[in-house]
Amino acid sequence: MHAYRDQYATLFKDGQTVVLIAISADPLDTLAAWARDDQFQFLFASDTGGVVGKLYGPSASTDRVDHRNVFVVAADGKIAYRQTPFREIDPAAYTELAAVLDKVLGR
Amino acid sequence: MRLAMLLTDLSAVTAPVLAQQPGATESQALATGTVAPDFTLPGATRYGVLAQPIHLSDFKGQTVVLAFFHKAHSKL
Repeated sequence: MHAYRDQYATLFKDGQTVVLIAISADPLDTLAAWARDDQFQFLFASDTGGVVGKLYGPSASTDRVDHRNVFVVAADGKIAYRQTPFREIDPAAYTELAAVLDKVLGR
Repeated sequence: MRLAMLLTDLSAVTAPVLAQQPGATESQALATGTVAPDFTLPGATRYGVLAQPIHLSDFKGQTVVLAFFHKAHSKL
């Protein structure tokens, strides 16, 4: 998540044109504390049962959102792009995401 | 003998495929072009816990990135 934070201005235009929602199975208080401590600028959602994670892209292990899938939902509500799993430590993954966002946003 | 070997070979090839099928279907992520299913989840920001839950539909008309991640306090 730190990579998202550090590239928030460039990737997500500081949240002005793109809404970033980071979702994990952590309890809400844990996410809120982490967001405060590490100063994440975006929204966190607590999916404690992993229900939403499974709905979007179930992982091989069943009871956790232990994968790093990324989806871009366009203004029409449709999935415009997915990277499953998201290669979180690979800089190219962010380059690819940025290019997709540029395209989706028509910029 | 040859037939027996052939059958053995076939089972070696087909068994893993069959075993994987239910999991593979279940583990497929939503495809591009699919309408993103709405959801309602409790939310938080760095300023604290949100009073209202997050609905994906709250952001209709905007571009939204859903980033599923493993666990808080991970360096990744």
